[in-house]
This record gives sequence, structure tokens and C-alpha cells, in this order.
Amino acid sequence: MNENDNHLAIQAQDLHKNYGDVYAVQGVSFDVQVGEVFSLLGPNGAGKTTTISMVSCLLAPTQGDVRVMGHSVKSDPMAVKAAIGVVPQEIALYEDLSARENLTFWGKMYGLRGGALKQRVDEVLEVIGLDERQKGRVSKFSGGMQRRLNIGIALLHKPQVLILDEPTVGIDPQSRRNILDSVKELNHAGTTVLYTTHYMEEAQELSDRIAIMDHGKIIAYGTHEELVKIVGEMDRITLTINAESAKVIERWQATEGVEQVTAEDGTVELLVDDSNLVLPHLFETATQAGVRITSVDIQEPNLETVFLHLTGRALRD
Amino acid sequence: MKILDIALKDILRSLRNYFFLGFGLGVPILMGVIFYFAFGGLASEDGFEIAQVEVLIVNRDEPLAEYDGFSAGKILADFLQSEELAGLLAATEAASAADARAAVDNQEADVAVIIPADLSTAAFDPQGKAEVEIYHDPTLTIGPGIVTSIVTQFMDTLVGSKIAAGVAYDQLTAQGATVDAMVLQNVATQYGEWSATLAESQGASPLLDIRSPAGKKEEEGNMALEMVGGVMTGMMVFYAFYTGAASAMGILQEEQDGTLPRLLTTPTPPSAILGGKLVSVFALVIVQVLVLMAFSSLIFKTEWGAPGPLSMAIVGLVVLAASFGIFIMSWLRDSKQAGVVIGGVMTVLGMVGISSVFTANVPGAEGGITEILPLFVPQGWAMRAWRLAIEGSTAGDVLPPFGVMLVLAAAFFAIGVLRFKKRFV
Repeated sequence: MNENDNHLAIQAQDLHKNYGDVYAVQGVSFDVQVGEVFSLLGPNGAGKTTTISMVSCLLAPTQGDVRVMGHSVKSDPMAVKAAIGVVPQEIALYEDLSARENLTFWGKMYGLRGGALKQRVDEVLEVIGLDERQKGRVSKFSGGMQRRLNIGIALLHKPQVLILDEPTVGIDPQSRRNILDSVKELNHAGTTVLYTTHYMEEAQELSDRIAIMDHGKIIAYGTHEELVKIVGEMDRITLTINAESAKVIERWQATEGVEQVTAEDGTVELLVDDSNLVLPHLFETATQAGVRITSVDIQEPNLETVFLHLTGRALRD
Repeated sequence: MKILDIALKDILRSLRNYFFLGFGLGVPILMGVIFYFAFGGLASEDGFEIAQVEVLIVNRDEPLAEYDGFSAGKILADFLQSEELAGLLAATEAASAADARAAVDNQEADVAVIIPADLSTAAFDPQGKAEVEIYHDPTLTIGPGIVTSIVTQFMDTLVGSKIAAGVAYDQLTAQGATVDAMVLQNVATQYGEWSATLAESQGASPLLDIRSPAGKKEEEGNMALEMVGGVMTGMMVFYAFYTGAASAMGILQEEQDGTLPRLLTTPTPPSAILGGKLVSVFALVIVQVLVLMAFSSLIFKTEWGAPGPLSMAIVGLVVLAASFGIFIMSWLRDSKQAGVVIGGVMTVLGMVGISSVFTANVPGAEGGITEILPLFVPQGWAMRAWRLAIEGSTAGDVLPPFGVMLVLAAAFFAIGVLRFKKRFV
């Protein structure tokens, strides 16, 4: 372990997980710094959940190792488990127990006892906004309330690393917003977060660094800006015009700052260096040619574009 | 500590679960009650509370003029009608023994106490003998028992007084003293007062004769209760195995619900997680067995036999039912499969295992297939141990089935735990 390793909350090295001939994860390596939010972004089946299952000691790696706060999942899993709080993708609660009974039980499983347990349960109930419903059976709770309790359980022992596996799947926008805000607050309070999602916007909003996964491998890895640079810094402009004109297409291709123009059925796609500089020239040329532009859509490069660029598929496919 | 936390959580969840309350406790009790009504036990027991016993007294005792009109029969009749016993007995005097017996036969009274004409005479005659007849409905147990106990106490005191007077007479005459009737009466009275301060004595008196109405026997009267006791035992064995399997199914259910994987992400040793769940399975079967036994004892007056054989039957049933449940569940993939197994396989095995309840009294059944077949399933061994216990067998008699149960339980437990450990740990 070198000096830099002291700043690492998670260090995954060459992780593999095979089920017979099925390779769920193949050679995944990444580091998560203490105090950062690190996201694993990828479509369903990319290997995100398998990866964090190995980080959470739920699955043993076929090959490779993970160190969490310096402890190996292979040689010291109990120390790893004490350092992490896991929020599973599916709600994992005892529905026939109350919110307080659930928190108390799970608190005991994290080693809390007596007055400390009671105090921490009270605090978490307040944090997740269920203090007034603490005696209610979980089976009577709404989906959003259950989600909050699902997260609250992972916070009971004040974990150094919080692992959330797609916590916003299938919930309403308001609950989703609450969860994202909670993650930010926890991170600001010093908790390291490992987050998996297939929503590009969530990864972009929350993460200090992102690893894009596909088919069990990390295909890109870095900050949002670093990832976007993979596809360059070009803007994509999509124009709709009232009449397709070969002449105007030719003149647009010749315009300074325009790198690529493709036209099909009245829709023209342009890759440009800077849309702010190029767009006035495009309108001027169209006016001179007697062509009217009926709509304009400008897109800066994003993770969706990166995934499309790297895999030839959309993230949500 | 975490083992207990997990076990207590599971027990709490089970006690809130309609399946356990319904199938573990409700249905066995309901079955027992149905059989109880079917055999008429309830109708003849006047409900579950001890009601005031209707007693008819026929006092034919003739007072002894030479002893200042002393009448043991009158003392007994007055005692039975005293205020002290008013809470227990509603005693009135009847005109004749025939009237009193007829009233009992017609269920107009619970007990008739018929005091013979020579009771007082017998009390003072060293060779004298008299019988107080207690006539009652044989299907009643509590009321006649109370009256018998009271009359027995009285008769014990009377016999003691008689012996004391006899001894006093012999000693005084040996010393040349003159002994008249008043002296003997004083001796007898003093003995009676002394005796009253002693603890109640039990046991039959040579002067006491308890008789049932003609044509009925006490044993026949208790047959319904004995049968209900057998049925309750069968239900207990049958449903204890259900509870063992259903409780062990919780392991599969938690895996499906995601709470078991989540538990495995906490700093709780996997062995503690499995251990806690196993403890809860054992605890729930124990709770079920004890509740059903208590209910049956209280309501059906079931006699479970001597403590030693009974303890062996309880321990054997609990460990075998719980272990068998763990064993069965360890082979299944999910709770859907478990539902089919509990509903089908466990029912068939249970019916085979407890079939001796219904075939025990069939002529020629002893030693036949109906007795051997149940021993091919675990429930059959549990049933055998319980039957031996409630039939009053010794611990030595119960030992063979108990031993088989322990061996089976150990094997089921070891295989089940190994399979679950391989799967989750």
C-alpha cells in the first residue's frame, strides 16, 4: 500500500465474475477516492450490480480483489461490511414490522446496542422523515416512504462508504429528487458514495467521477468533462428546413467551424466546433438561398453521446 | 447475541402472521373442539367453569338415644348444607333414595348423597360397618369429585373418632374406671375437633361407597375425553411438522424478499444469521406444542402421562419437526415450491404419520400394516412416543421411539444446515 492508497475508499483490481461460461464481469478496475461520489453508469445487464455485489461481499470474485477502506473483501470481509452501508436496488424491508422495529433490528445487525441504538434510530427516523410514522407497519407505507426507509437502514451505523444500487428505479419524480438531494447531503457530510445507475442525468448531476460499463467491462472512466472529451468538444445542431436544397447544404459545409453535415427528409445534422459562432452564418446562408429554418436543436456533448460513440447503441437500449 | 436478535425478529413476525396463528394454533384447537362436540363431552360438562354442584341428600340415619340423640347422618347433612360450602354446593334434602337417584338420572341433580340408617350405630360399634352412597352421572367429573372429597373428609374424621373412642374405652376399663356413653361421646368429639385442625386426609374410607347409575361405568364416561386427547395429540404432531416447515420456509422467503442478501452485507457472521433462523424454528414449534398442550389440559382435561415420558415426547417432537422442516426447505428453490410441498407432501406424510389415532381401536389393527406404515414417516415416530406417554407408559417404553426421533432429527438437521450453508455462506 503506497501513500496514495490512504486516500482511496475503494480500490477494485482486475475483478472478474464468471457463472460457468457466462462472464458477468471481466477485468474491472477502478478507484474511489475518500469523500467522492463515484458512479457506475451503464445499461441493464452491463455488470454494475455484480460489481457492487463483489464490493459488498455478497459475491466472491472469480478473480481479482477489492479493498474497501484498506480491507480486502477476500481476507477481511467483516471489516469491509462494517465500513459500508448498502442500499439494494429492490426494497429489502420486513413489511410486517414497523419502521422503528426495522431500524432497531438492522441497527443491531450493524452492532449498535442500548442507548446508542435508540438515539441513532431516532436520528435516522428524522433524517428520512418518518419520525411521525415510526410505529406504522411498513406494508402500509407508500413506495416513496419504503424507499426512504430502505436508504435509512444503510445510514444507521454512519458508514464510511455508502453503496446505492439504482435507488431511483421505478419511483416518482419527487421521490427521485429527494433521494438525489439526500445523496448529495450525505456526500457533503463526508460520506463516500458508490452509485450505480442507468440514468445519464443522475450520474452527471451527482458524480465526481464516472465509470461507464458495458458487457461486464469498463469502457470509459473519468470525470464528466474527461469523458465528454472522448467525442471532442463539438456541438451537435439539428435543423429542420422547409425545402431541401443541395445548394444550401454545400454552402453550410463550406462554412468555417462546420465539421460535418448530413441531411435526410428535411432534417439536417451538423457537427460544429462552436454553435454560438456558427449558427448566425447558417441562418444568413439559408435566407440568401430562400430556405426557411423551422426548428433548431443544439446539443452539447454528453454521456449519452459518449456511450453512443463508444458502443454504437443508446444508453437506454 | 445477534442469533437471538434474529430469532426474536422471526418469532415476532410469525406471531403476527395469520398462517402461524391459523394453522399452528387455530386449526388444531378447532379440530379438537369439533371432536369434543362430536363425542358429546361439552354437553355433559356444563361448560368450562366449575358451576355450583346440585346435591340431593337422603338422610336415613337413625339417632342414637343412648348417646343423647347423636346422629352422624345429621351432622353430615348439615355440613353439606352449611354456608361454608354454599359456594360449591347447592344441597337440599330429598324424600327418598329412589327420588334422589331418579333426579340424578333425569339430570335434575348432579349428585345424590344417600346416608344409610345405621351410620351412627356403626360409628359406635367396633365391628360396625355402613356405606354412604354417592350417586352421580358418570360423565361428570368435577362436581362428584368435590362431593366425594368432602364426604371422604367427614368419614375419615368419623372413623378416627370411632377408633379414638375405642382406644379410650379399652384403656379406661383396664384401669378399672367406669365408662359411660357420655364419656365416649366426649372423647369422640375431642378427637373430631383435633382432627379438624389437621390437613385434609385423602383416600377411601371403609364406610364410603361411590356408585354410578346402573348400566354405566366411569371408564365409559371418560371415553370421549380420552378420544379427544388422542385427537389433540394427533393434531399437535401433524401441525408441529407444518410449523417446522413453514418456519424454515422463512429462510427462502427472506432470500426472495432481499432481506437475507441484505443481512449478508452487514457485519453479521453468516453462521449467526443461519443460527438465528434455526433457533426461531425450534422456538416456534416449542410455543405451538406447549400452547396446544395447555389448551387441551385446561379444556379437554387431557392427561399427558408422567413427566419423564412426556418430556421425552415433547423434546423428540420439537427437534424432529423443526429439523425435518429445515431439511425439506433446504432442497427447495423458493417459497412457491415450498408452498406446494407444505400443502401436499407434508399433508400426506402427516396423515400417514398420525393414522394410528383413527385405527388404534380397530379390531385386528395391532401389529398390522396400520401400525407399521406410520413408522415410515417421521410423524409416525413422534406419534408413537406421544401415544406411549399419554397411555401411562414408562420412560423405558418411550425410549426407543425417542431415540429414533433424535437420530432422525440429527440427520435431518445436519443435511439441512449443510445445504443452507453451501447456498448462503
